[in-house]
This record gives sequence, C-alpha cells and structure tokens, in this order.
Amino acid sequence: MPTVEEKEREEQIVVFQLAEQNYGVDIAGVYEIIRMENITRVPRAPSFVEGVINLRGRIIPVIDLRKRFEMPAAEHTRSSRIVIVEMGGTTVGMVVDAVLEVLRIPASSIEPPPPVIHGIEAAYLRGIALWDDRLIILLNLERVLYEKEKEALAQIEQTA
Amino acid sequence: MFSDAELQVFLDELDEKIQVINDNLLILERDPSDANALHEIFRAAHTIKGSAGVMGYEHMASLTHEMENLFDRLRQGTMRLTTEMTDVLFSALDTLKELRDEVTGEGGGADTAPIIDKLRAFLAGEDAFVPQAAAPAVFLALTEAEQEVIQAAAARGINAYHVRVLIDPQCQMKSVRAFLVFNNMERFGEIIKSVPPAEQLQEGLYGEGFEVVLLSGEPGEYIRNMLLTIAEVTDAQVTVLRPEQAETVPAAAQTPGAQKEGQTGVQRAHTAKTVRVDVEKMDNLMNLVGELVIERTRLDRFAALLRAHEGVDDLVDTLGEIANHIGQVTNDLQDQIMKARMLPIAQVFNRFPRLVRDLAHRLGKEIDLIIEGRDTELDRNVIEVIGDPLLHVIRNAVDHGIEPPEERVRLGKPRTGRLHIKAFHQENHIVILVEDDGRGMNPAVLRAKAVERGLLSADAAARMTDREALQLIFLPGFSTASTVSDISGRGVGMDVVKSQVEQINGTLEVASSPGQGTRFTIRLPLTLAIIRALMVMVGEQMYAFPLANVVETMQVRVEDIRRVKQTAVIVVRGSVVPLVRLADLFGLEASGADKLYVVLTGSVSGRVGIAVDELVGEQEIVIKSLGGFLGRIPGISGATILGDGRVALIVDLRALTEEITHRSQMEEAVSLAG
Repeated sequence: MPTVEEKEREEQIVVFQLAEQNYGVDIAGVYEIIRMENITRVPRAPSFVEGVINLRGRIIPVIDLRKRFEMPAAEHTRSSRIVIVEMGGTTVGMVVDAVLEVLRIPASSIEPPPPVIHGIEAAYLRGIALWDDRLIILLNLERVLYEKEKEALAQIEQTA
Repeated sequence: MFSDAELQVFLDELDEKIQVINDNLLILERDPSDANALHEIFRAAHTIKGSAGVMGYEHMASLTHEMENLFDRLRQGTMRLTTEMTDVLFSALDTLKELRDEVTGEGGGADTAPIIDKLRAFLAGEDAFVPQAAAPAVFLALTEAEQEVIQAAAARGINAYHVRVLIDPQCQMKSVRAFLVFNNMERFGEIIKSVPPAEQLQEGLYGEGFEVVLLSGEPGEYIRNMLLTIAEVTDAQVTVLRPEQAETVPAAAQTPGAQKEGQTGVQRAHTAKTVRVDVEKMDNLMNLVGELVIERTRLDRFAALLRAHEGVDDLVDTLGEIANHIGQVTNDLQDQIMKARMLPIAQVFNRFPRLVRDLAHRLGKEIDLIIEGRDTELDRNVIEVIGDPLLHVIRNAVDHGIEPPEERVRLGKPRTGRLHIKAFHQENHIVILVEDDGRGMNPAVLRAKAVERGLLSADAAARMTDREALQLIFLPGFSTASTVSDISGRGVGMDVVKSQVEQINGTLEVASSPGQGTRFTIRLPLTLAIIRALMVMVGEQMYAFPLANVVETMQVRVEDIRRVKQTAVIVVRGSVVPLVRLADLFGLEASGADKLYVVLTGSVSGRVGIAVDELVGEQEIVIKSLGGFLGRIPGISGATILGDGRVALIVDLRALTEEITHRSQMEEAVSLAG
C-alpha cells in the first residue's frame, strides 16, 4: 500500500518542444534558459556540437538536441531556446525548438521508458510521464550529454 | 590530528627553512667562516626540529636535531666545516626533503639512520649539546624613545600595559600562536615592544611565554580576558606600566634584541605585510575580473549607442563619464590582480646553485655559477612550467658545455668555467639567458651528426647556414653527446625542451661559437592568461593566431599558388612552402577571392603557410578553455571573448603546422611509391 508521502511526491520538470514532441528534464539540472544568440561554430567538433557561446564571460559549448537524436534538422526560429544545464561540474547548452513551461507532476505518473520512442533509445530516457492527457518524454541528461560524446571524441582523437 | 591548514603552515615553513639551510650551506662552502650564514642555518634547523617534533614527525625531528648539534659546534668554533661535512650536510638536507615528501604523500620510506650516523661521527664522541630556546624570563627594559611614546600616550589617556603571556609548553606551533596573540592584541592596541623580539617570536623561539608593551585604551582586565580566550594561552598578566616605573630598570639588563630603537615595531610590521592566498581564489578573482572587463565593454557600447540615439544630453554625458571611470578602475584592477599572481623567478632559480654544485662535483668540473635577476616576476603558472626546461638547459651546459678543468687550462681558458643565468624584463616578455663559456657547438659536427642519424640528407645539410645548423639540436632524435651520461642524456632531448617552452607560448633560441661557449635564450610571456594574437577572418568568423607562432604575413595572388605533386605551395624568397587554406583545414566555406592573406608559421622542421580571407590586426586576448565537455580538439587550443561579446577560437598553430608538414610528407611518400 502506498504511503501518504509517496502519493504526494512531485517532480518539477522543465518541458520543452523538439520535433513536435514534449520532452522534460529535471529542473534541478537546469541552470538557465536563454534566447538563441550568436553561436560560434567549432570546427572538428562532433557534428551535434552547434558551437560555443559566451555566457557572461564563460565559454559554454552548445549542442543541438535534434542532431543529437538524429532527428531531421530544422532552422532556428524565434521560439528556439538554449537550455543551459549543469551536469557533473560541466555546463552545456542544448538547443530546443521551444521551452513550454515548468510542470509539477506526481512521481507516480512517471513510467519506465519503452525500448525506443520517437527514435530515441531507452538508454537516454529516464521515463515517460503521462499526465493531464499529455505525454512527456523525460531525458536522462547524464546519458544524453556523455554517452555518445565520449565515443565521438575518442574517434576524433584517433583520426588526429 | 592536525588540520589541513595547520599542516600547510608547517609545510610552508619547512620548505622555507630547507631553502635557508641550502642557500647558507652554499655560502659556507665558499667561506666557512661566515658567522651569519652559520647562525641562519642553526636557527632554521632549530625551527624545523621544533615544529617537526610537535607535529609528530619524529624522524624529521631527530635528523634536524643531529644537524643542529653539528651546526652549533661550528657556530661555537669548536669545529671547522670540511668538504666532507658539507657533502654529508647536503645529503642530510636531501633526506629531509624526502621526509617532507613523505608527509605530503609524494614519496615514502626515507631512512634517516645512515645519515644520522654520519652526522654523529663528526661530533666525535662528545655529549650532544642540546641548545635551549631563547631564555624565557626577561627584564623589560625601555629605551628613552619608548618612554617618550608611553608618556605621549598617557597624555592622550591611553595606558601602557606590560603584558606577560604564557603559552602552554605543549603548544603545537609556537610561531603560529605568537602570531595569533599579536594579532589579537593589535585589534585593541599598539605593541611598541616585545621580548623576545618579534623576529624570534615568529620563529617560535621563545620559552614559556613572552612579554610585550602594549598601548591601549581598553582596561587591563579586558585585555587579559581577551588573551585568555586564545587557545593554548595558559595565563596572561596585564599590569599598567608607568613610565617612571620602567625607568628604574638598569640598562645593562637589556636584551640584545631590544637595543635598537623601534626595531620590534618595524619587524612586526613586516610580519603583517603578506598573506597567503589559495591559488584557486586568485584564479577565481582573475575570472571575475575577466567578466567585469567584458561587461565594461558592453557598458561602453551602450553609452555610445545611447548617445547616437538620444543626442547630446546631460544624462547621456554622465553615463559616458561613469562608463569611462569604470573602465579605468577595471583596467587597474586587472593590472593589480595580474601582479598579485606574479612570483619572483627566485622560486625556480634557488634550486640551481645546489644542482650545479652537485653536477660539477660529480663530473669533476669547476664552475662558477652567476645568477642575476632573481627578483624578476612571472605569472605563477609560467613559474610552474618553466622549471623543467630550464633545468635541462642547465644540465646540458654543465655536462656538455663546460670542459673539465685540465682541458680548459690546456686551451688557455680560466680553469673554472662560468655559467651565467640571467632573467630580465623586456617589453612584454621575460627573458632568461643561460650562457656558458664552454666548448660551444660546431656547426660542421652538428651537420654530420644529423646526416648520420638520418634526420637530413647530406645535400640539405650542406646547404644549411651555420645558424640553421645550430637549430638542428632541436630536432627530435638529435643528441650531441657521443656518450649517454646519466645527467643529460636520459632520452629527453632539446626538442622536448623547446616544445615545453613553446607550449606556454615562449620561444627558445640558441647561439654558439665553437671554443667560446653557448647561449640559450628563453623568452616567456608575462602571463599565460593573456597573449598577443593576430586576428584573422575566414568567412564571417574571426580566429585568433597566437603571435608567438606567427613568423610573417603576406598577400598572395591565387595564380601564384603552385602545385608540387598533390600539395599546394608558394615560393617565399626562393624556398618552397606548403600552403593550406584554413577554410579547408576546418571544413569551412572558402571564399572565392583572387587574393589571399597568408600567415607563415613554422619551426625548424619546416615553414607552413596558412591562408585566410582577411587579416584584422593584432590584439591582446584573454585565453579561455573550451572546457572538458568538448575535450581536446586538434588545431584549436581555446577561445577568447571579443569586445562585442562574440567568441573567437584560438588556433593551435603548432599543431596545425605539424599536421600539414606530416600530411605533405605522407603525400610525397605516396606519390613516390606510386
């Protein structure tokens, strides 16, 4: 039997849009959300690396989440945003189509992810939230940021 | 156990004292009668013994105890310093360093027994003499000047107190404790005298306590209570001192330290002059200033924008003024923080006298080492990196450069060789010269060796000028010593030294004349955080080329580009140089212009031309890392933030040059094979 506490436990999720779908990350990992700005391309970086930006004097790498998940590329629009996340001491920006809202959802509405959803492997997902008639795909930031990058970077180093 | 902070205080003190012993031993080796040097050594050994004992490092304490005994004999003149003794003392010092590394976990298991035996052997069976710390109880004697100060204070209603502070005999770090007590008392008064003198207190050279004369407006009871709150202060006696009372003290009771007027005051001021700051804090400060610089640029731009928009207006003018002033203050702040990060190069140079002495002994050479410019200041990051390359150059000079005494005499040179190390400031650089008057390098021999090692064709060697031939020593796989010695022939060549220097944006040059000597010139940037760069454009994007790697720039028409096999080349003053567009290297869109700007970069292994669309100009840039997420990207060493807030990447010209040279060699090989 679930205790009262479990019933009431909620998670705060930053919800954003990517190729018509809703995605969410835990708000604790989000440092800030900024408008698109001039991104300096970094030659020879992995393809999903959009470039670097100047965030008040700090150089922050920015990745394109569409490219990261091998989705069709899209032009940046007025609603495009860079979600700055902090993971294990590094700060990284992620380009998303739009940031929608911050939601409180009960932990009980989060289910484990299916093996593949919208072409994204379960390894990158924390779960699926079904709440208020909406489906929000929750990302496992650590995996998203690190898993493939490591391979890609290792490759670069080999070819160099 | 001791806290990290306490341990750090101990280690810092230990390093300092080891250096003192080292320096003064070197002085004594030349002049065994130097009483001052002996005194310094004795005091340093004594301090180490005391604090090591307190910290529980018994090996260290017992070793320094033996050293101290020997120094004491020497000091009293009952023994004379012999060469043998110096050698043993130096190796005792080495053991001490090993023990120190053991504390920090960098090394382990130094055995003190053999060296202690050797030290004891010198003492020839006499009972070990255990020196006492400075005599505990002291008469407080005031000079006339001090009397006057006290009277003047009394006139203003400020009391003079005679404060006697007793410290727990088990006190862990007497020097620190004394410092705390001083600090505390200075919060509510002024110390005009102390017995023993402040200098000795700093070193922890006091017995059960010490006495001071304190001028303070606070009541005596208050002062006493404050003092008693300090840990390990067992008692504090505070009595009001009346000038006439002190006058009765006979002058003969004065301690030597109290004789000079105002001496204690001056030395106390000296203690408070520096603070130790964590490097990380300094780095953070530097980053913050970097951000401030960028915001200031924005403010400037905003003020200009507003002026354009609103026209001339009092408010706009005021904003402009504020922006200007903030700009100035920020510049000064940046300057000051840069200066605060600077350390004298003495930190590096201090190792050398001992090193050269040991090497010379081992090789049977006689060398006069002259060091100049110890006070020259460098960014601490540069200091950290420069030690190794410099060490190598010096080893080389001692090992290969300077001839053995007999050979020198035969050649009609002075028997003793000269090694001159000199640091000085030149424009935006620090220059370090390492110069010897040894056998020098013979270009003909260098050419022959390079050909023999297969680094160069006989043809190419013959075409080289003497100057160019000297540069051959920087090629990987080149070593001039015919026998590999354990001193400088350990596989680390001058190529490594050169690349170490270049990694911190420095340059290394060599000049030599056979029979007369060799001079290495190391040129270093003042700081690693800021470099001068040539800004270039490719397409819409600006890139920074570190000036240290730029040889020259030129304009080239497309029709002047030729092809040799697969490689595009240009001809620069008769020599063929491979040319690559930065756009191609970086996979950017190339411009269709019929004129290109070429930046020549290069090293000994070859020149390379890198073509860009436009040269923007030279500029000082603040280096920022791309961060761990992107990791190492070949050809890009970092980024910088431009005045308009945009990011420009810093191009790693050294890596690109190597890449291009390597590639054109590969292509050549392929086309030869085909």
